[in-house]
Amino acid sequence: MKRSPTSPAPSSLTRAIRYLGHYRRETAYAYGALLLATSAQLMVPLLIHRMIDGITRGVVAQQTAALPATVQAAIASRMGITLAQLTQAGTQPVQALVISGLLILVFAMVRGLFSFSQAYMGERVSQSVAFDLRNDLFSRIQRLSFSYHDRNQTGQLMVRATDDVEKVRVFIGQGLLMATSALLLMVGAIVILFTLNPRLTLVVLPILPLALGLFLVMGSVARPMFGLVQRKLSALNAILQENMAGIKVVKAFSREPEQEQRFQKAADDFLAQILKVMRLMTFLMPLVFFIANLGQAAILFFGGRQMILGTLSLGEWQTFSLYLMFVFIPVAQLGFIITQMSQASASAGRIFEITDARSDVVEAPDARLLPTVRGRVEFENVTFRYFGGGKPVLERVSFVAEPGQQIALLGRTGSGKSTIINLIPRFYDPTEGVIRIDGVDLRQVALDSLRSQIGTVLQETTLFSGTIRDNIAFGRTDAPMAEIVQVAEAAAANEFIQSFPLGYGTPVGERGVTLSGGQRQRLAIARALLLDPRILILDDSTSSVDLETEWRIQQALIRLMQGRTSFVIAQRISTVLNADQILVLDDGAIVARGRHEELLETSEIYADIYSSQLVDDSAGVTVDAAAAMATES
Amino acid sequence: MFHDPRHIFEAETSKPQNVSQTLRRFAGYFRPYWRRYLGVLVMMIVSTWAAVTAPQLLGQAVDCYLVPPAATAAFEGVSPTLTVQPPSASGPAVQATDSACWYAEVPLTATTEERINGLAGLVLRLLGLYAIGSITTGLMFYWMTTSGQRVLRTLRVEVFHHILLLPIGYHVAHESGDIMSRVTNDADTIQQAVSFALIQVISGGFLIVWVAYKMLSESVAYGLVALAMLPFMVIATAWFSAQARKAFRRTRVRMGSVNAELQESISGVREAQAFSREDENIASFRETNAANRDANIRAVAYTSALAPTLEALGYVALALVAVAGGYALLEGQALLGETVTLGLMITFIAYVQRFNQPVQQISVLWTNIQSAIAGGERIFGLLDVVPDLQDAPDATDLPPIRGDVVLDDVWAEYEKGEAVLRGVSLRAAPGETVAIVGPTGAGKTTLISLIPRFYDVTGGALTIDGHDVRQVTGASLRKQIGVVLQESFLFSDTIMENIRFGRPEATDDEVIAAAKLANADKFIDRLPDGYQTSLGERGTGLSQGQRQLLAIARAALANPGILILDEATSSVDTRTERLIQSALETLLRDRTSFVIAHRLSTIRHADQVLFLDQGRIVERGTHDSLMAKHGMYYGLYMSQFRRQSPTEGGDGRETRAAPAPA
Repeated sequence: MKRSPTSPAPSSLTRAIRYLGHYRRETAYAYGALLLATSAQLMVPLLIHRMIDGITRGVVAQQTAALPATVQAAIASRMGITLAQLTQAGTQPVQALVISGLLILVFAMVRGLFSFSQAYMGERVSQSVAFDLRNDLFSRIQRLSFSYHDRNQTGQLMVRATDDVEKVRVFIGQGLLMATSALLLMVGAIVILFTLNPRLTLVVLPILPLALGLFLVMGSVARPMFGLVQRKLSALNAILQENMAGIKVVKAFSREPEQEQRFQKAADDFLAQILKVMRLMTFLMPLVFFIANLGQAAILFFGGRQMILGTLSLGEWQTFSLYLMFVFIPVAQLGFIITQMSQASASAGRIFEITDARSDVVEAPDARLLPTVRGRVEFENVTFRYFGGGKPVLERVSFVAEPGQQIALLGRTGSGKSTIINLIPRFYDPTEGVIRIDGVDLRQVALDSLRSQIGTVLQETTLFSGTIRDNIAFGRTDAPMAEIVQVAEAAAANEFIQSFPLGYGTPVGERGVTLSGGQRQRLAIARALLLDPRILILDDSTSSVDLETEWRIQQALIRLMQGRTSFVIAQRISTVLNADQILVLDDGAIVARGRHEELLETSEIYADIYSSQLVDDSAGVTVDAAAAMATES
Repeated sequence: MFHDPRHIFEAETSKPQNVSQTLRRFAGYFRPYWRRYLGVLVMMIVSTWAAVTAPQLLGQAVDCYLVPPAATAAFEGVSPTLTVQPPSASGPAVQATDSACWYAEVPLTATTEERINGLAGLVLRLLGLYAIGSITTGLMFYWMTTSGQRVLRTLRVEVFHHILLLPIGYHVAHESGDIMSRVTNDADTIQQAVSFALIQVISGGFLIVWVAYKMLSESVAYGLVALAMLPFMVIATAWFSAQARKAFRRTRVRMGSVNAELQESISGVREAQAFSREDENIASFRETNAANRDANIRAVAYTSALAPTLEALGYVALALVAVAGGYALLEGQALLGETVTLGLMITFIAYVQRFNQPVQQISVLWTNIQSAIAGGERIFGLLDVVPDLQDAPDATDLPPIRGDVVLDDVWAEYEKGEAVLRGVSLRAAPGETVAIVGPTGAGKTTLISLIPRFYDVTGGALTIDGHDVRQVTGASLRKQIGVVLQESFLFSDTIMENIRFGRPEATDDEVIAAAKLANADKFIDRLPDGYQTSLGERGTGLSQGQRQLLAIARAALANPGILILDEATSSVDTRTERLIQSALETLLRDRTSFVIAHRLSTIRHADQVLFLDQGRIVERGTHDSLMAKHGMYYGLYMSQFRRQSPTEGGDGRETRAAPAPA
């Protein structure tokens, strides 16, 4: 995807148009039909002319039938035909008329067929291009790294995949075809005009560059304005999306009025920007129409002058002015298309901005598959800054986790525990330093091969619309039911799942049943377990279940962690007690490490955390338990 | 995401829609701008006048200035444009007449100079006419589009308002991406229609009427022949529109699912990457996306057929006019009792051609209008969802809360027949702390959701200070209740504003004080921009614990009469938790509070402990009394005790966790 900086970037719109290349046949069909339909349109004046001529001749022949042949011949030559033609016109005038009429009907059907094909194929191809653009956008968005998503809002990314794509589609499906047909018509008409009367044609020509220049100005002024329109729409959508995602909080604090104001302000901004564009259009569009009409008036004057001076015949002028329509109607059309084009161009820019976005986490070109992991994880002088700036969140962190070890991460909120965990599946890349698994630098392996061997339970559990089964099989869609039940059991989730009438088929997610935090978390654990990963990452994984369930999950996890390298962000000492290695983090640095027993002696911070835990739970428990036992006895 | 696209929108496509009703509703939105439309109407008449007068003037240029010399040049004056009289038995067969010129008196003797000057004058007039046409069209466009955009804005704001009005239950049951699609994509179809299509269609319609009138006024019989195809055009338009609308309805729904999947997949992108699900997601999106494409292609099959059909009918009309007129002319017969001249025929041919242009125009933009109607239906469909949880008509503001909360035999269910709470009764006296414990899924979150009336009880009543929550305004109720939810939702805004969310009028100092109270100030101070640090969506960049601290600060700032904590401190590390514990104690003091907690330490300080199981309160009392009872609470407590027992020794040095058998 990398573009060399020296080669000039093709305009976004051109790139979008190149997508038509995926549908060569359909596109060729659309444009072929367009060519035929347009040439058919150029035939209209001819057909009508022919018909009127036929009738005129017929009438004249009938009227002159009684006159002497010499007069007839003179009249015929005056009309630009031979006597024989005139006589023939007189013999079967009605037949000729009917034939002309039928010809027009045949022509109408042919033209109808082709213009249908043109419109239909054009729309079809444009829908296909939109389909491709959306897919490309979606794939890119799916693969962009966490830090990209940290900075971009769902709502505004959505607008690009919907509204911006639609703007480009409308142009490709209608504007581009219309422009082509307009240009074709214009060029064809100019050629015909030249053959009819070059001098008069020269009068028309200066108006074209004028119109063209105006279009260019219009386009270049309008494009950034349309870009802004899309930006404002994105802002609007982002507010909308956020409010829908956080509807509970909005309602809980009854902040509806403020949010409505916020939305209203965004809607007003959007409106103001659209109105700006509209004002420009209001000024420019009539100007374009006027210029087109100016051409007609100019022809009328100069052509009329020639006629009065006797250098141009009325018949010539009439044909000329008929074709003149085909020069100026396209000019007006192009004026309309140019706005569509600048709009599409602004939107195409926004689309390719995403598809071109470089993920901070890129697979090396020579990335190789990570072989089956044994589970040695090594951090060497790892420093990490969010967005590449500011104070480091992790500073020169080094440690080694041997295969099968259980590593507990401890530290206060914001000390860098989550960051360490996010670096292992390479959701982010370290700013400095190296992370290795089994001695291989993470940056040298294919992402899929890495992530598929790591099971992760993130802080927040997002369930997707689908059934419970689908959600557990999230990482391995083809997993057999027996395995799913097995991991659900291990995650202490089977029981509550079975309590639903639909069991594993119960729909969850946006339109499904509401699960409690604890239930969601257990599904997330089951989801991770199903991968049977060599490396397991648990982030706050048992924090929001009740104690009894937590205890059962703990048992499951202890069994599960055996033989796997596991990283656990734990807030409970009990988890820590089982750890092979405890890393105590403070302010992004490891301030103490070792096993529980060692740390208690050597690390003040650890002792502090530990004692706070004692005060928090166990001490009270001790006292109360003693009391309870006392009452019991 | 694991979708079966079919089941999602069946309900919607089968809904019968009333087009005229949709249009009437649109009209209601446009009503405030009626003055502009009056202006538009005037402009339309003027511009149509200009549009029909200009060709006439063009013709006059020929008839008044150009024909005479041409006619004299063509000695007998045979020219297709000249009026040819029907053949008569006597006199010269073909005769040029000057009667067609009404623009100016141009004597046949006029010099070339005079003619050119006359022509120049006419051209100037023509230019003036063009200018008038351009200006009126411009004004028309401006008034239409600006009012259209304003209507759209009103509609958007209204939909947003409605979305916030809809109860949580509605949001739980519907995909947010699909709802969003109505505000953006569906509204966009209307935008396209009001920008260009509407005005073109109306002015096109005007032109048609005008041309028809002109034709009929020139010759009723010939006019009827020329208009013979009009009924067919109307029928074709009606039929294709009906088909197209059906098809467009489907496209709007498909677009809604595209949007829904986008929103779900983008907001869940981290999970997707963690599980290497990208390929599956992409494949699934492809499917939804393809369904949208196919629905659209089906829709355009109808709309692309309309224009060529009308055009073909137009050519039929043209042929009809030419053949019928020509036949009458050649056979010397009257057409339906009226004589046809060659001039009349040529004029009619021109008319029929002019007729075709607006017909074309309309049919092309008809697509946009059909699509807009389908979009409008969806928007109105959403607006028509009556929030089943509304303020009662006679709802009063809840006076400042003292905090006497009573639940009297409360039942609650999300789905009919599946009760989540079954006859819960409790009373929290002002200032009391009520702890709710129980296994996951027991109904704890449901119970506390009823207090701010996120849901309505399905049986029994919930009163605060004696006021049934259904009898007071939602705003006055929720303003006085502070909630810290399991998932602390943050907005993409600064930290300052996120805390201020609790009370928008709070000063910066008050915000900082609240942050201090929640012990959030320490980590905030360490951020590069402190309180002005901008957060990503949903507070990305912060850990879950940090987010929880902000949520607590937010609740603290709100200074509510009733406080609800739903596992508020679950994700905070124990040291931080200990710090906020004291803050919470201050916060909880003198406030009625409901706390769902899994940490027994919180529970021990509660005035009442309720043990909830399967939607019923199975045990209640204080911690001590429940412990003494040796019931379910005791069991839960002992499981905790068992688990924690190794640390009982105080320094915990000598033991490791000895898990008891499950």
